[in-house]
Amino acid sequence: MGVRVFLVCAAVAVMAVASAGARPVATPGVSSDEIHIGSSVPLSGEAAIAGNVARGIDAYFKYVNDKGGVLGRKLKYTYLDDGYDPGRAVNNTIRLIQQEQVFAVFSSLGTNNNLAVRKLLNDAKVPQLYVSSGATTFGRDYKKYPWTIGYIPPYSEEGEIYGRYVVKNIKTAKVAVLYQNDDYGRDLVAGLKRGLGAKAKSIVASVGYDPTSSDVQPQVTQLKASKANVLMVFAFGKFSLQAFNAVSRLGWKPQIFVNDVSSASSLMAIVPQKAANGSISIVFGKDPASPQWAKDKGIKLFQSILRKYGNGTNSRDLKDGYFTAGMATAYTLVNTLKKAGKNPTRQSVMNAATHLTERGNPFVLPGIVIRTTPASRYPITQVRLQRWSKGAWRTFGKLVSAKPG
Amino acid sequence: MLLAAFTWTEFAQQLAAGIREGAIYAGLALAIVIIYRSTRVINFAQGEMATFTTFIAWSLMNQGLSFWAAFPIVLAIAFTGGVAIERVLIRPVENAPVLTIVIITLGLALLLNGLMSMIWGGGNRQFHGPFSTRTIDVGGVPVSVQDIGIVVVSILLVVLLGFFFRFTKVGLGMRAAAVNRDSSRLAGVRVGWMLALGWGIAAVLGAVAGMMIAPVVFLDPNMMQTILLYAFAAAVLGGLDSPVGAVVGGILLGVTITLLGRYVGFIGSTLKLPAALLLILVLLLLRPGGLFGRVTVRRV
Repeated sequence: MGVRVFLVCAAVAVMAVASAGARPVATPGVSSDEIHIGSSVPLSGEAAIAGNVARGIDAYFKYVNDKGGVLGRKLKYTYLDDGYDPGRAVNNTIRLIQQEQVFAVFSSLGTNNNLAVRKLLNDAKVPQLYVSSGATTFGRDYKKYPWTIGYIPPYSEEGEIYGRYVVKNIKTAKVAVLYQNDDYGRDLVAGLKRGLGAKAKSIVASVGYDPTSSDVQPQVTQLKASKANVLMVFAFGKFSLQAFNAVSRLGWKPQIFVNDVSSASSLMAIVPQKAANGSISIVFGKDPASPQWAKDKGIKLFQSILRKYGNGTNSRDLKDGYFTAGMATAYTLVNTLKKAGKNPTRQSVMNAATHLTERGNPFVLPGIVIRTTPASRYPITQVRLQRWSKGAWRTFGKLVSAKPG
Repeated sequence: MLLAAFTWTEFAQQLAAGIREGAIYAGLALAIVIIYRSTRVINFAQGEMATFTTFIAWSLMNQGLSFWAAFPIVLAIAFTGGVAIERVLIRPVENAPVLTIVIITLGLALLLNGLMSMIWGGGNRQFHGPFSTRTIDVGGVPVSVQDIGIVVVSILLVVLLGFFFRFTKVGLGMRAAAVNRDSSRLAGVRVGWMLALGWGIAAVLGAVAGMMIAPVVFLDPNMMQTILLYAFAAAVLGGLDSPVGAVVGGILLGVTITLLGRYVGFIGSTLKLPAALLLILVLLLLRPGGLFGRVTVRRV
C-alpha cells in the first residue's frame, strides 16, 4: 500500500514538473485553420428521423465554410450514430473526445442520451453545447454541470403553456394525458399541472407508457374511457403516431395537444387526418412544410443551402423541419464561436454561450430573441401556438413566454 | 397515477386490443415454432425477415399496387426468400452445433436490419392496410374494423395451416421429417426439402404478421423487435414444438399483458412485460414443456 501511494505521489510530481515546463497546451479541436465539432445522434432506430437535425447542421457548416468559415477557421463536423441508445451515445462521446479530439460536443439528441454523457463531459471540461432535448435539467442545473447548456424550450414550460391555454379557452375541460414514462414525459406533465393551476383537477386520467412498448392503443383506450374531451399527447416519435392512430380507430374526438418534438409536419401528415385535424402544438422554428413560410427569406435560404450542401438529400427533405431545426442551432453556434474570440478556448466558448443576445436567426420565428445569461441557460424561451388544419401547421396568437421561473 | 373507473365498455375494448396484439404474437410465434420443430433452431431473424417483406409490400404499394394485389406477390417473395435462406445459409451448417446456427440467424437479423436502413432509411412510414380504420358497434362497444380484420386473418391462417399439416402429403411429410429424419428418409420423404419448405412457410407467416401490424404501429426497420420478444415468450408459453400452443400462447399473452397493465394498479404500463414473464416462469416451473409442449424424457 505504502509503495503504491509513493508511486502515485512521484508520478503526480513528475507530471506537475513536466507540465510546468511545457508551453501552454493548445485547445483540443482548434487548429490554425479548423474547429472540430462533434455530435451523437440517432441515424438509425426508432428516432432516426430526428437525426436529420445533424444533417441540417452539416449542410449549414459547409455553407459557412464556403463563405470563409468562422474568423478564418473552417468548421469540421463529425456526427456519429447512436441509434437513440444512451449506451452507444456514451461510446460515441468518448470517441469524440479522445480519438476525434473535438473542441465541443454540440446538439447531441435525446434526453437520456444527453443525461448519460453529462457528467463525463463536465468532468473532462468539454462543452456540452445546445443539447437537443428540452428536459429542464439541462438549463437548470448549471451549478453542478457548468459545461452544459440546453437549446429548445424546456418541456415543463411547454406543458404549462398547454395548461394555461386549456384554462383560458376550453370551459368544461376534462383532460386525459398520455406521457412517456421518463424525465421527458414527466417534465411535460408537471408543467401541465402548473399551467392548469386551480383547475389541475380537470385531469381525469393520465397514463404513462414505457419506451419499449410495441403499441400505445391500450393506454389510449383507457384514456378514452375517462370520457375526457382533451387529450395531451406527450409521446415521442412512433408512439405519438400510434396515439393518433388509436384515437381514430376508437372513434374518439378529443381536442388533441401534441408536444413540440413529435409535431413535425412530416409526422402529422401520415396519421389519420380526422384525428389530427385541429390539433394544437407550440413552435419556435419556421416550418418549411407550412404554406405560411413558402415565401419567407429564411426558408428560401434554408432550401438553397440544403440543395447545394445537403449530403444525399431529396425534395422531401426540403420540407423537413428537423433540417431547419438543425440549421437554427448551427446558426446560433456560429454566432457563439465568433463571440468566443479569435482564439477560442473551451472556457471562452462557454462564456459566449452564456452571454448570448441573438436577434434575427433566419430559421426561427420572427421576433424571437435567443438570449442567455450565466444563470438563465435556456436559449429559446419564446414560442407561438400553432394549429393543424388542411394538412399543414399554421401559427396563431402572439409570441408567448416559455421562460422558467 | 389516476386510474379511470372500471367500465364494461372499456374492458371489452381492452380485451379486443389484447386479442389483436396477441394475434400478431401468435403469427410470429407460429413461424418460430415451425422452424424449431423441424430443425431445433430458434430463428432470431424471424422479426427482421417479417419487417423486410413488409417493406417490400410498402414499395409495391408505393408503385401504385393495391394491398390485395401486392399481397400474393409479397407472400411469393417471402416464401422464395425463406427457402433460399435455408438452402444458402442454414444447409451448409446443418450438422453444426445448434449454437452455430443460432449465431447465423442473429447475423442474418443484423444484416437484414442494416439492409433495410440502407434501402428504405430509418424513419417511420405509413402503411395502408387492407382494413378500414372505422369502428363498428359490437353490442354497444365500438371496436375497430382493423382489429377484427387482423384477428380474422390470423385465425384463417391457422386453420389453413392446420389443414395443410393434417391432410396434404407435403404437410404430412414435413411433420414426419420433423419427428424422425432417418425413418422419413427411408420412407421416401425428401427431408432436406421439407426443412427448406418449413423456412418458406415461416417466412410467409412472418410476412402476413408484418403486413397486418404495420398499419397499427407504423413501419420502420425495428418494427418487429419488441414484438419478436413477445412472440418468443408466446412460443415458450405454448410449448416450443406445438403450433396450437403458439397460437394459444400468443393470444393468452396479448390479453394477459394488456389487462395486467390496465387493471393491476402497481403493474401499470411499465411493469407489464416483467409481470408477464414472471407468470411464464411460474408456469414453466409447473409445466416445463409449456402449455401444449411435450416434455422430453431421457433415460439415463
